[in-house]
Amino acid sequence: MTMRRFLLGMGAVLIAAPALAQQPAPVPGWAVGRPEGSTLAPHAPRLTVTPRDQLPVAAIRLPPGFQAEVYAHGMPGVRAIAEGPNGTIFAGTRAIGRIYAITRNPDGTTRTRTIAQGLSQPNGLVMIGDSLYVLAVNRVLRYDNIEANLDNPPAPVDLTAAFALPTEQEHGGNHHWKFATLGPDGRIYTNVGVNCNVCDTDRDKFALLVSFNPDGSDRRIEARGVRNSVGMAHHPVTRELWATNHGRDWVGNDTPNDTLLRVRRSGEDFGFPYCVGSWADPDFNRGRNCSEFSQPAALLGPHTAVLGMRFYTGTMFPEQYRNQIFIARRGSWNRERLSGYDVVVAHLDAQGAVTRIEEFLTGLRDDANQRFLDRPVEIHVLRDGSMLVSGEQMGAVYRITYRR
Amino acid sequence: MLLRLLAAALLAAAIEATTPGAALAQDARRGAELAAQSCVNCHGANGRSQTSDIPSLAGQPTDFITLQMILFREGIRQVPAMNAFAADLPDRDIEDLAAYFASLPPGPPDDRRPRDAGLFAAGQALIGPRNCGVCHVSDFGGRAQIPRIAAQREEFLARTMIEYREGRRVAIDTQMNGAVAGLSNADIAALAHYLAQRD
Repeated sequence: MTMRRFLLGMGAVLIAAPALAQQPAPVPGWAVGRPEGSTLAPHAPRLTVTPRDQLPVAAIRLPPGFQAEVYAHGMPGVRAIAEGPNGTIFAGTRAIGRIYAITRNPDGTTRTRTIAQGLSQPNGLVMIGDSLYVLAVNRVLRYDNIEANLDNPPAPVDLTAAFALPTEQEHGGNHHWKFATLGPDGRIYTNVGVNCNVCDTDRDKFALLVSFNPDGSDRRIEARGVRNSVGMAHHPVTRELWATNHGRDWVGNDTPNDTLLRVRRSGEDFGFPYCVGSWADPDFNRGRNCSEFSQPAALLGPHTAVLGMRFYTGTMFPEQYRNQIFIARRGSWNRERLSGYDVVVAHLDAQGAVTRIEEFLTGLRDDANQRFLDRPVEIHVLRDGSMLVSGEQMGAVYRITYRR
Repeated sequence: MLLRLLAAALLAAAIEATTPGAALAQDARRGAELAAQSCVNCHGANGRSQTSDIPSLAGQPTDFITLQMILFREGIRQVPAMNAFAADLPDRDIEDLAAYFASLPPGPPDDRRPRDAGLFAAGQALIGPRNCGVCHVSDFGGRAQIPRIAAQREEFLARTMIEYREGRRVAIDTQMNGAVAGLSNADIAALAHYLAQRD
């Protein structure tokens, strides 16, 4: 912070002081701690269809041998991806409230349908057998035999009461959207994000990774002190749960980092709001020693907005990518210069320690003009070993292939 | 009606003149034609609403109008008249309407009441503590997905803030619900008056 901005901020505080004394002034959750005068705010989403010829596929840069193509498009706000047993790709969204289904035509082109709409932030999708589970804030809906009924989706079975997730009101509108994935134990894993930007919160209720039986019973806390995770996956060999996690806003351009977490045992504590790794929160440390908390497996950059992550389990890509973690970084808003807007790979050694973070998909961040061309959100490995990456801003799903 | 159409056409032409050679994805001229068929009946011939409780759209950011229209179409923001109008509306119509209303010069309704100095001051005193200018910008002209609130109709501003406070208004995010939490009806009346008086 410059001295000028600091003085401006102090002036505003002094002027505002009498009013503040009379009345607490809650500010939007994401704006807590915002320095006076900052104009940073979340980027506007685009919820209209982007024509195919405006998609930035030609701008995408990949390592040698890899190619990017448009797999499907015309799906505003596309984010989460789940695949049905017959190969249908289901995709969730946030603000636009839709669930899309993408099928392949005999000629290799794709067809997109909207199978549900008007939902509140349906960003958590899990496929179990023939049933698609949708987590939309606290609502949990199960669409049975969905792939056979794409043109006439059945009324869902409502499991909301069984899961008993906190409502949007309980979240105060903060971090209430869900990511969901199916564990190797047959349980549904999801996040309960924190109900603020940063605050003292009920650490048994918010800032958690949790798992449930598919009927909503037997809730188990898998990790605590996780501010908000919108991406999780289980290691294909060790079956350990890994997750991405967002750091708080308004505490500098370069602090704290977004992180990659490795959950070695159920219930371990990653330190929010007190610490992120060895970084003590300047406002909410509460005298805690950061070494008492589990440390992240990797730091993934400040405000990069790490989202979907998947282990590469296919055989199309070179052997060096097998069982390595591909991570989508949706890109920053709470930073004066843009960061993220890419896909990186976390390379692991035989013990599962992260040895390096490698850029994989780049070209969507235009540093010279400080603008972005799309925002990668989810990763999905197809059965042929190619990889899908959803681009939320442009409503497209890109497919990455490798040719020797 | 003819005058309205003429005014709209002139304005659309003026926009084109100021952006020479720009191939606009959003067609304000086409938006003017669409708006003349229905929007202007409630939102005003020049985008400044002369109807109680109906917002002015002149000078609103294109992203804001576009996103709200999508929320109406998808049934996520519930306003029966707007849900009916937006149902099945193609993206292109929405984007063109947004471009048109964004192009109109903003201003107060003709029936704006005189300034009440006490109420204005009370509203002004709340603006800083409530961080209104952080998102809506210091002149309250809005930006991107965030609406212009300067010179908006006073009773519309008041009703909207009450709906946010009571959790009845849905937007693309819930920032406003937090921003107005705990405000009394009197506070909201003061804020609405202050903002309605800003030009």
